[in-house]
Amino acid sequence: MIVHDLFLPSPLLALSAGTMVLLASIAWRRSAARSLSIGLITFLAALALTGRHVGSAPPGTVTLFIQDRWADYNGILIVLSSISILLMSWRDLARDPAHPADESALLLLTGTLGAVAMVFSANYIPFFLGLEILGISLLGLVASRRLRFPEGCEAAMKYLILSGLSSAILLFGAGLAYAVTGSLHFTLPVAAGSPGIQTAATIMILIGIFFKLSAVPFHLWLPDVMEGAPVPVAAFIAMVSKIAIFSSLVRFFGTGHLPFYMQSLMPAVIILTILGGNLQALQQTSFTRLLACSSIAHVGYLLIAVLSPGQLQSGVITIYLAAYTASTLGVFAIISAFGSPGHPDGTEIADWKGLFSTRPFLAVTLSLMLLSLAGIPPGIGFFAKFGIIATGVERQHDLLLAVLVTGSIIGLYYYLNIIRVMTGAATPLMVPPRTRQPELTVLVTVLTIIVIIGGLFPARLLRPLLPAPAMTPPYQDVMKASRSG
Amino acid sequence: MQFLALLSAAITLIGAIMVITRRVAVHAVLWLVVTLLALAVVFALLGAPFAAALEVIIYAGAVMVLFVFVIMMLNLGRPDSDREKEWLRPRAWLGPALLATLLCGELLYTLPFRPDDTAAPDLLTARDVGLSLFGPYVLMVELASFLLLSGLVTSFHIGRHRLRER
Repeated sequence: MIVHDLFLPSPLLALSAGTMVLLASIAWRRSAARSLSIGLITFLAALALTGRHVGSAPPGTVTLFIQDRWADYNGILIVLSSISILLMSWRDLARDPAHPADESALLLLTGTLGAVAMVFSANYIPFFLGLEILGISLLGLVASRRLRFPEGCEAAMKYLILSGLSSAILLFGAGLAYAVTGSLHFTLPVAAGSPGIQTAATIMILIGIFFKLSAVPFHLWLPDVMEGAPVPVAAFIAMVSKIAIFSSLVRFFGTGHLPFYMQSLMPAVIILTILGGNLQALQQTSFTRLLACSSIAHVGYLLIAVLSPGQLQSGVITIYLAAYTASTLGVFAIISAFGSPGHPDGTEIADWKGLFSTRPFLAVTLSLMLLSLAGIPPGIGFFAKFGIIATGVERQHDLLLAVLVTGSIIGLYYYLNIIRVMTGAATPLMVPPRTRQPELTVLVTVLTIIVIIGGLFPARLLRPLLPAPAMTPPYQDVMKASRSG
Repeated sequence: MQFLALLSAAITLIGAIMVITRRVAVHAVLWLVVTLLALAVVFALLGAPFAAALEVIIYAGAVMVLFVFVIMMLNLGRPDSDREKEWLRPRAWLGPALLATLLCGELLYTLPFRPDDTAAPDLLTARDVGLSLFGPYVLMVELASFLLLSGLVTSFHIGRHRLRER
């Protein structure tokens, strides 16, 4: 038997085992609180098992999964985001009978499983399967609100069609890459001869990844889907799926210099993404749509660091991912804490009028998170954006830096606009009743502390975690090895 | 051999284009069956008879029956005889039938060739597929089962809502 030849990172094992335990528990008796608890325990187990693995790869073969510090780091970020999202949705799921709790917990688990599988994958097959598990779980999560079912269904439909299209393009690219190199190793297709097919394969895979990452010009679905989804699910789309696909992008290209045609293609995408995201955010009156557009812009900033190999790159990408995750999660947690059943749920910016006088804790923490997203001290976002600019300066990307500065100024306008709305006078009708929600208070407090501490002492987070520069892939696949042996 | 493979590939392409341009769902399904059959022939010519058989059994067989079943369930409003008259005009089935005959002819033409006469390097039999599925790729089979699980839960979840809305 070949079981001892298999290699499996332990977090994946924990997540799949947890999914099965949850299924058994649902089959026995449906209970929202228990399903959510099992989900939470599973996430904590996955977190505790980070860095371990089951089995070992036989020497000389290419395994399906890879475990290095980059994968571990993104796995931790994804699982931590999932824990936060579970806490955000706890109130709605456990206390509001209009929500189907068990399915949501189950789909949250499988979605996280897919994302973690993508992060750990070193081969096209686990990458694609993870991508699809994540996408299909998201589909159910997006349409999970019974009260606003038509909106949810519309969002889910848009997501289904566009995600299917991008998956098809990505799969076509992977097929072309396999045709050229004869290997399913997840890296740039490099082979002697046929440069045209190599370029086509790379660009098709890249288009698929950009679709999922919602870089402009493939961004149109993101605001619509996030608006139709419940707030915690919108956070899931903005965090978990983006971290997973971004970590795969870095794994695919490695950290070395990009091929020539990429050097001219990437800057165009980056400029479009930063300007497109920020300009679109200016017109939004919905808070979730605004966050969607701001996340598009942040993807653009991150891509600048991907394009600038050098000494700073690795640490900067690490800290930027942490900063983006903590700040955006904080904003979503505060939106969840603001909303209450039967009242404005905080997804419209107008709902936030006068929050400084009615609920000062939420207003102060939200201001801090928004300032961090805009890149103003003392938030962690300041140092992260500073690092991105430093990498750009190191490689002398003048045009990109100018675009980044322009984008940040536009961003400042719409982030500060929300703070301006909150300082206005409150209309007594719109003040929602206070409800006890200890888990959200704890979550918001913890995220605030992370954002402030990370902003004051960023050096601890500056760690070079990126995978080693891409080398020519070994032309030996597991399939071939098994057939010959 | 190469010409035959290209011919089957062209039939796949024509079929796929026809699938997405038909306005009546049943006609699209007819074209889809031809597309899948042509794909199976491509697999067979590439030296993967097991994959070709699976393509025919699972996709052209089981999945298509499911499609037809769903289409019939969704079109319950009108009398059956009218519907069938409209669906089964010669114009609708002549094209798919022609292409399917072409594919059949291709298969009959290649039948006399022995496997070692062809250009295909080595035949991928059911044993090879099974060995790699339950050997190095067994974890992928497990991962695919999670994909199916999440698809099942999602579709059940959305479908149940629809029933309650009515």
